[in-house]
Amino acid sequence: MFKLNILAFLLVVIISTVFSAIDVEIENKNIDRTIDLTSQLVKVSYKITLEHKSKKAITNYLFLIPSVDCDKLSYVSARDSAKKELKLTLSKTAEECSYSMTLPNSQIPNPVIYIETIFSKALQPYPTEITQAERQLVRYFGNAVFYSPFKTSSQKTTIHLASRNVESFTQVKPSVHSDTQIVYGPYENIPAKTQNEIVVHYENNSPFMVVTRLERTIEVSHWGNVAVEETIDILHSGALLKGSFSRYDYQKDSRSGPASVKSYKTILPASATGVYYRDTNGNISTSAMVTLKDSVELDLRPRFPLFGGWRTHYTIGYNVPSFEYLFHNGDSYMLKMRLIDHVFDDMIVDELVTKIILPEGTKNLKLITPYSVERQPDTLHFTYLDITGRPVITFRKTNLVENHINDFNIKYNFSRIMMLQEPLLVVVFLYLFFLFVIIWMRLDFSIIKERERLHKD
Amino acid sequence: MTETLIKSKNPNRVTSHAGISSLIVFSVLLMCWIAGFASRLFAVIRFESIIHEFDPWFNYRATAYMVQHGFYKFLNWFDERAWYPLGRIVGGTVYPGLMITSGGIHWLLHLLHIPVHIRDICVFLAPIFSGLTAISTYLLTKELWNTGAGLFAASFIAIVPGYISRSVAGSYDNEGIAIFALQFTYYLWVKSVKTGSIFWAASAALSYFYMVSAWGGYVFIINLIPLHVFVLLIMNRYSHRLFTSYTTFYILGLICSMQIPFVGFQPIRTSEHMAASGVFALLVAVGALKHLQTVLTKQEFKRLFIFGGLAAAAVVFLTVVGLTMAGVIAPWSGRFYSLWDTGYAKIHIPIIASVSEHQPTTWFSFFFDLHILVCTFPVGLWYAIKKINDERVFVVLYAISAVYFAGVMVRLMLTLTPVVCILAGVGFSGLLEVFLKEDQQPVNKEETENEEPTEKKLYDKAGKIKPRKHDSNKSENKGLGSNVKSMVVIAIMMILMMFAVHCTWVTSNAYSSPSIVLAFYNQGDGTRNILDDFREAYYWLSQNTNDDARVMSWWDYGYQIAGMANRTTLVDNNTWNNSHIALVGKAMSSPEEKAYEIMTSLDVDYVLVIFGGVIGYSGDDINKFLWMVRIAEGEHPKDIRESDFFTERGEFRVDNEGAPALLNCLMYKLSYYRFGDLKLDYRGPAGYDRTRNAVIGNKDFDLTYLEEAYTSEHWLVRIYRVKKPHEFNRPALKTDERVVSASEYITKKTSKRRKGVIKNRPTVIKGKRTATKEKTN
Repeated sequence: MFKLNILAFLLVVIISTVFSAIDVEIENKNIDRTIDLTSQLVKVSYKITLEHKSKKAITNYLFLIPSVDCDKLSYVSARDSAKKELKLTLSKTAEECSYSMTLPNSQIPNPVIYIETIFSKALQPYPTEITQAERQLVRYFGNAVFYSPFKTSSQKTTIHLASRNVESFTQVKPSVHSDTQIVYGPYENIPAKTQNEIVVHYENNSPFMVVTRLERTIEVSHWGNVAVEETIDILHSGALLKGSFSRYDYQKDSRSGPASVKSYKTILPASATGVYYRDTNGNISTSAMVTLKDSVELDLRPRFPLFGGWRTHYTIGYNVPSFEYLFHNGDSYMLKMRLIDHVFDDMIVDELVTKIILPEGTKNLKLITPYSVERQPDTLHFTYLDITGRPVITFRKTNLVENHINDFNIKYNFSRIMMLQEPLLVVVFLYLFFLFVIIWMRLDFSIIKERERLHKD
Repeated sequence: MTETLIKSKNPNRVTSHAGISSLIVFSVLLMCWIAGFASRLFAVIRFESIIHEFDPWFNYRATAYMVQHGFYKFLNWFDERAWYPLGRIVGGTVYPGLMITSGGIHWLLHLLHIPVHIRDICVFLAPIFSGLTAISTYLLTKELWNTGAGLFAASFIAIVPGYISRSVAGSYDNEGIAIFALQFTYYLWVKSVKTGSIFWAASAALSYFYMVSAWGGYVFIINLIPLHVFVLLIMNRYSHRLFTSYTTFYILGLICSMQIPFVGFQPIRTSEHMAASGVFALLVAVGALKHLQTVLTKQEFKRLFIFGGLAAAAVVFLTVVGLTMAGVIAPWSGRFYSLWDTGYAKIHIPIIASVSEHQPTTWFSFFFDLHILVCTFPVGLWYAIKKINDERVFVVLYAISAVYFAGVMVRLMLTLTPVVCILAGVGFSGLLEVFLKEDQQPVNKEETENEEPTEKKLYDKAGKIKPRKHDSNKSENKGLGSNVKSMVVIAIMMILMMFAVHCTWVTSNAYSSPSIVLAFYNQGDGTRNILDDFREAYYWLSQNTNDDARVMSWWDYGYQIAGMANRTTLVDNNTWNNSHIALVGKAMSSPEEKAYEIMTSLDVDYVLVIFGGVIGYSGDDINKFLWMVRIAEGEHPKDIRESDFFTERGEFRVDNEGAPALLNCLMYKLSYYRFGDLKLDYRGPAGYDRTRNAVIGNKDFDLTYLEEAYTSEHWLVRIYRVKKPHEFNRPALKTDERVVSASEYITKKTSKRRKGVIKNRPTVIKGKRTATKEKTN
């Protein structure tokens, strides 16, 4: 009897873990959804209060995103009521991407989950082409109700807009527009997997810029310096510029070209020195640097204002002292640096390639990243006084946003004697050179005594 | 000669003396190198490590291409981004020495894993070569005179503005390395004339080969050296040394120089090179005669000399004339003619005359570029003539010809500068020898000590100077008084110091502007503002236009557009095709619709103009506009007339009194589009042009065939897009003024009466042929 009980329990556990998605007794008691459309990103945050009909502890929860939005999703994170990060496991089907999470085994009757998602390129400029003076209008396609595998008893959605000007929005009663907000709901008792498409067409002049490619190179020197260089391609991804660009209009009225980007801020680490900002034609003289208490703020102005469809490309670089990022214990070292750094607020990075150049002679490399990246094959890099070359670790990731700014760790071994290799190389070279000159000057290679003949004149 | 003298007397002293003097020579030359390098860095320190001006951009682009694609690809490079639609065979139309030099340095450094960007090598190439120039000048002067003069000459050439003007950091041009090659070739030549050794002559030929590969000015060498030989022959200074060195040099140099694709067969087919072969023939003839003289009797020799000589001269002369007439030997080129007749270019080739550096030199720029050296180099010349020998004949000829050429063209000031430095070095050295030298003392020891007075003062050896002064006080009554001596020496020192100050000042103020980045200082607070409009606009072109977009601009900006924007240009600074340039000039000086025809026939996508009216930049396109008109008129005299662009009183003005042809031409419209609305300050009138200090005449106009694509922050560069035929602003009609003919209107509502219409069906009217048939018949 007891055995059977255990067996039954095990069966239930197995079934519940495998088919957790269809634990129909779980119900979303209350959903508070906030959609932030003030920038070029769509930031959706959810506060989900759960309830189990049979009053059992909820161990698993499933969070769904319809497949249309799947590849626009750039970042997702979930936290429990204690603000502890929950681990998400992704599985994809034709209809949706599902993220399953295991809740901490606590006996709270109505656990709360906070989920944050960020979608890039989800706002579409409409009309797709505007003139210099026109404002930029964009459309947001979304869902009036929360898309969930579970039944939802009560929910409300608040949409924050970038401006008061709303051209149109889909009415799903009750829905209210006031100032820069649209509120959908509250709706009661929505069945599972309901979709109710809404379109919000509104004015959004915040910068629509995409970093189409960012190449970040980190070069570590054990003599106390870490050099960082980022090569950046930026595209203005908003409504395209129609017709001509008139400098006269642009200068006359400072509000002219509302959708254009004149300048933006990049934040560097506080200890950054020797900052440069240049492109293939040399230094870009229109930038300002402000050193703040906890960061260095760069006010970057591209050579020309960016209108819809215009691109620019530049390189930014700086040095930071290595003691802040490089730690060691005997001959084993650990480098802890940012995998990607801030380019501008609410940034979208299409493709990131990070290269880490370690000193010559490092062994046993081990890379630990905060999220999965696509590791490229290691290469060698040759620079001043290198003989065997420095190992380069390269990895790649697509579709990143600000929330991906996080540290990676590299552990490696390096024997400190190797640091003397390069100075010794110089010393030996100079020694041999002087020796050669000394010997050369004391030898006479001429076959005739030219000196005396020369001075006859 | 003194060293050998000493050697015999006191061998022990010699080694220490030689050691000290070589240390002094080494340190002075090193300091020359460092000072020369450092004083060329003003632009890098004030701005950044960047390529300057116009031609350097092409050289940089070509070098970058070579580094990327390899040398053979570079030699075969057909640049389809220039001279659209013709293209340019770059490998065959450049002097590759510059690119090979910096590419070689780049290759070597990368072989040693020193990752220096090719741009930095290009930027710093000329300053580094200035040090080599100083050393080769030292060597040349040492051969001509003595070590002291050599050190003077080296320190002069390191900082003299006439040379710095072409070799500041970033001025990546042929001249930067060519002056080194020139001086080094001359040094080797003088050395070979002195020794008569094949080794030195062959070295001279190799150095000449490097010079040929680097700069078109090699023609100067290949005429000066034969001239030297010729004058030596006239002076009856023929020797076997001369024969050996010239024949070796000429043959090797000729073969080597023909290896450069751009030079090719020119050395045997153009008039510029004929002097060298003529002298070669003459030298061989003289050599033969000298030999015959030893064999034949006096009578026989005299007869042979007269008849043979005359016959030979006639044959040579007739052959050259005949070949020239037959077209085998090309006559003098236009650029060369303008060296003899300064007015030639102005009449026949406006494109040469339009370049400011081809203008005759003013006396002011002689002083500006050479300062005190221009006054002292005649002294050196006089010394050289007074103590003439084989190699001093050379420097005299060098000086005289270079002075002439420098007077003809500002640009050739560059060839004068080295010889001025040499002779001024000789002059100063001679002067100091007189005034710094101790009076003749019976004690030999003193003499040896004061052998090289100019070096002594550089070598800090306080212990030995004191007794010398003491000695000179003793011998006060003999020769020059020490007061006079010290006054003269102090005066010379003052002059030299002023020279150094002047050089630095000129370098800093006149020759250190990259000219693609402009800086100005606010009058109020003295802060520096940077005008970066050129790079702004070029970068816009490179990022936001199609990769194959064709940009029309005046030829001055061709290299910059290709280098910084990487876009196809129609004309550039190479100026090899005058009619193509004239076509662009014609487009710029025609009214919009005629210009549009030309632009569509040339597939132009964008038009770029430089406009300085907002900030008062004087080098803009409106100020250059008359040259465009003149060049266009040269090729299209029916369509463009220069006189149309002047007012009745013969003035060129842009205000409302200006000529109508000017106020409606494309260049005017593109420069002043929407400028009529712009108020530069609150009180002034709208449309006030700061460069020409006038309110523009034609303010209110619109563009039909073009639209503004980009204008830089200070309006310095304006880029227009040429519209495609379907995009024109057709003349706008207000809605109520539009007349729509009713007959063509078929209403769809009355479906019963609606006629069926077949597209393109011929309407047949009885008794008439159908319209389509008529056409085919």
